Amino acid sequence: MSLVDRAMTGRELHDPGFIRFIFGDTRMAPLWAAARLYLGYQWLNSGWHKVWGEGRWINVPGQDGLPLAGFWERATAFPEEGRPPIVYDWYRDFLSYMLDHEWYTWFAWVIGLGEVLCGIGLIVGAFTGLAALGGALMNFNFMLAGSASTNPVLFVIAILILFGWKVAGYIGIDRWLLPALGTPWEPGTLIRPSVAAAPGAVAPTGT
Amino acid sequence: MERWIALAVGVAAWTLVAGVAVLIVNAWADDQQVLAFFPIAAAVFVAALIGEVVTDRVFHRQPGGAP
Repeated sequence: MSLVDRAMTGRELHDPGFIRFIFGDTRMAPLWAAARLYLGYQWLNSGWHKVWGEGRWINVPGQDGLPLAGFWERATAFPEEGRPPIVYDWYRDFLSYMLDHEWYTWFAWVIGLGEVLCGIGLIVGAFTGLAALGGALMNFNFMLAGSASTNPVLFVIAILILFGWKVAGYIGIDRWLLPALGTPWEPGTLIRPSVAAAPGAVAPTGT
Repeated sequence: MERWIALAVGVAAWTLVAGVAVLIVNAWADDQQVLAFFPIAAAVFVAALIGEVVTDRVFHRQPGGAP
């Protein structure tokens, strides 16, 4: 066996016990629920301002998304002194393209409703991993656009929840939803009812 | 039938949690972020408790009342 073959031989590397405890044990569910509720409240509050607040982005007289257009204009502008808010040229081009084509009229709906749904999903613990992923993607884009604010902290919390997706929604709808729907690699009892009937199978309630 | 009622109770409980969260954000927004956490957490806890009780009574206990 050559050196390359030996080096590339498939081996499964296991996580240490405390990592499995933190990210996969239901005894950690209260901690994840607290993190989830904090993050969910932040997103719901932020989305509320954009969807229903006084300075809302959407459903306004005239054109929707004008505050978003203003944000994109400031983000893509080159200041006379100092560095521009956006570091990466490709991201500036991306925002400029959306600005030039007036995509802010519908993208404001995507962001506003996305934040509300992300917040509610995290609070009730439904599809918690996907909700955290959505939140992390929004944080990531806000940071790429040069807006720090609370985004770095929320991003880290979202990534941690993403790592603990199996247990983060355990005190929530995922307690029942995940065993019923399962995962692409392990269909749940709703997809394959025979699993529930098999001896020793996981009950549809997730216990 | 009993299972459908259990499902409806669960959906109603968690819909109420979402409603409570939206109402609290609507009422307090940025002013009371710390205080807002408690009623939302309480609503989540109550809904989870309802879910556990309903699941235990409908899905786990055998017909006739034996656990």
